[in-house]
Amino acid sequence: MAKDARDNWENPMQFVLACVSYAVGLGNVWRFPYLCQMHGGGGFLIPYLLMLVLEGVPLFYLELAIGQKMRLGSIGAWTAISPYLGGLGLASVVTSLYLCLYYNIINAWSFWYLFHSFQSVLPWAACPLNANRTGPSEECERATPTQYFFYRETLNISPSIEENGGIHTGQALCFLLAWVITYLFIVRGVKSTGKVVYFTATFPYVVLFIYLIRGFTLHGAINGIKYMFTPKMEELANPTTWINAATQIFFSLGLGFGSLIAFASYNQYHNNFERQAIIVSLINSGTSIFSSVVTFAIYGFKATVNYENCLERTRILLLNTFSLSEDSITIDNVFERIVELNTTHPEQFAELNGKLEDCNLESELSTAVEGTGLAFIVYSEAIKNMPLSQLWSVLYFIMLLMLGMGSMLGNITAIITPLRDFKVLSCISTEVFNGKKKCIVCFICLLLGLGFTTTSGNYWFTMFNDYGATFSLLFIVLIEVITVSYIYGIKRFERDIEDMLGHRPNWYWKIMWAGVSPLLLIGLFLFYIINYIQGGTPTYQAWNKDLGKSEQIEYPLFGQAFIGLLLASSVSCVPLTALYVFCQRRKHAQRHMQQHTVNTVAA
Amino acid sequence: MLERIFIFLFLPSVLAAQLCKPDAPEGFKVRLSIKTALQDEAYEWDGNERFLFQATLAFAMSRHTRQEFNVSNILVCDETPRVSFWFVVTSPDDPSQLINRGKVEAAVRMSRNRINSAFLLSDETLEFVGILPTLAAPVEPASPPWLIVFGVVMGLVGAGIVFLLVSTVLQKRRKKNQEGDEGDDDEEARVKTAENGCRSDGIYNTSFSEDEPNTQM
Repeated sequence: MAKDARDNWENPMQFVLACVSYAVGLGNVWRFPYLCQMHGGGGFLIPYLLMLVLEGVPLFYLELAIGQKMRLGSIGAWTAISPYLGGLGLASVVTSLYLCLYYNIINAWSFWYLFHSFQSVLPWAACPLNANRTGPSEECERATPTQYFFYRETLNISPSIEENGGIHTGQALCFLLAWVITYLFIVRGVKSTGKVVYFTATFPYVVLFIYLIRGFTLHGAINGIKYMFTPKMEELANPTTWINAATQIFFSLGLGFGSLIAFASYNQYHNNFERQAIIVSLINSGTSIFSSVVTFAIYGFKATVNYENCLERTRILLLNTFSLSEDSITIDNVFERIVELNTTHPEQFAELNGKLEDCNLESELSTAVEGTGLAFIVYSEAIKNMPLSQLWSVLYFIMLLMLGMGSMLGNITAIITPLRDFKVLSCISTEVFNGKKKCIVCFICLLLGLGFTTTSGNYWFTMFNDYGATFSLLFIVLIEVITVSYIYGIKRFERDIEDMLGHRPNWYWKIMWAGVSPLLLIGLFLFYIINYIQGGTPTYQAWNKDLGKSEQIEYPLFGQAFIGLLLASSVSCVPLTALYVFCQRRKHAQRHMQQHTVNTVAA
Repeated sequence: MLERIFIFLFLPSVLAAQLCKPDAPEGFKVRLSIKTALQDEAYEWDGNERFLFQATLAFAMSRHTRQEFNVSNILVCDETPRVSFWFVVTSPDDPSQLINRGKVEAAVRMSRNRINSAFLLSDETLEFVGILPTLAAPVEPASPPWLIVFGVVMGLVGAGIVFLLVSTVLQKRRKKNQEGDEGDDDEEARVKTAENGCRSDGIYNTSFSEDEPNTQM
């Protein structure tokens, strides 16, 4: 038995918490509720849970098994499985690198909002005044104060990706802080990471629970909850629903980045990862559902507040136009009075036509938002209306930070672990250099990531978010599952697992690995390609400050070229490395044959 | 004779009616939202309140122009149940002459606070349509508060890193004193097999192993 020379988690609990902390990330909070809303509320749970069973848990199990068995990072592990497939690990590292570059900017924004919550009046609660102090600034008037704070004061966003300003210093400082903290978390390897995840994995649940209670007691929250739980079953007939469920499970579990392989490589050899895989996947999905209940309570509150404000504005407008006494129209009878006034004073009513808003609770509820818009704009709008808003704001942004940092830990570990194991770099390193690798990786990511703090940084962020990881991951995991099932062989894999766990995986796992999951992945992969081709020029949402809202613009030529580069750079690692290894082996084999002939002759 | 008396009697009110009307060129529309502002303690708009309005406006005009204005110089008309009305200001020297709109606006702006408090209302609930209130300057603290919190957090994190570095150095020194040359740290020796595509369980070909003692940090 060889000496086991690798770091280990102090106990299996740390490993489980690390996986939970990594898998439960911002996507659970800002993507799942959106999908739920778009695809028929409670009915979306059916495709979601089905996909969890068909592809989520089996693929998660697969990655953990590989990591624990090979006890190496992604590059080493795949090279050990088949030398031609070392490129798979390399592709994972490249994708993780892209993710690391842009993910920490979200943490920087969370820090920015967190620091700005320590004021008596939240800065996104009211518009700042314009130059001559006669009213709020125009851009803020046209948009809402929360949008203004996000787009103008946080990002200082430029009108399009082509126009660039300087770096936003506040942003850059928060970004620096985010990277310093990330470095602090990984500086001692799994020893430090293992301790940190106790906090980053559990604290978000505390906050979510507090928010659940707060959310349910908010005025109008019940509207949102009702909206979520009334399933619209006809959405199940729409194929997009199933595809979105599959992709959400896939990305939410963080497959393909190599983080799971890296985490599992620090496990004890006989660790029972089968149970842990099921537990973590279930926790991840459970958290998505839990957070979407909270989000819908908040939605309901926000929609009700907006609706009532709209009614109030309409009431004032009617009072002023028809000069009626103040208590003749109340919020409850606004609509009846509108009809009444239309019949009694038609000419005056006609003048109102442009100004009369259409107040509709349904339409307020159905404005589905996802991503940074949900996290930073919608939630902060709801928070500013709550009593004691500073407290809720601080809690919320600390939760976002925990979620983001936890995922960041997994991402950076996915880069550092293979780098430690990768032969080339360790050959040329000295003792001191080896230890400083983490510092260098963090520093390089920090420098490159400063580009996201410029005025057009948000557009680059969106590009990376939409294209940097999605397509490559599908490709990577597809090759992974085909490799394990057919190239490495299910039988050999079974034996490895039996060696580690003491029992063979049952028929469910084998069917999923060999048949169902690869088919699903191929289907998703094809769908993405077809979508990409049919979609025409890729577009992005640009903030128009004159209109006070976002509009879709096409990416310029260099943007499209960059997207292509992002996709190609990670995907091409696989064939290129295979080619390289093939050439190396042929050279080696030729040399070996020459030596052999010499030897026999000499002998 | 009688006609002359009639004309004299009615002339002021006729004049007033002609001077003060909705959309009068030198007039302003005023809108009060008493019930919205005061809810249960709202007062009724009656003749006394109108008188108070005329008095406060006369006060504002006198203050601004340093001329003596009287209550009769403020003409109010077109009152509605909304509680909105139009008013014009006539010159104290010549009741048929209207004071210029700009002067009235400046006077109202100057004494806006006093007018508001006379009615227990605010800039939003006592509207002079067309006169924008000068909003209070936002309170700008000397140093932005977020920087302070940022500084605190950054300081803590920096202290954490320094602590870690120092503790590592101390650990290394202690270990060196104890055990001499053996590096017994977290990242220990690594053992690798030759490339043959498959890692067999537990049996390693040590002739291909590479021992790399790595130091901490």
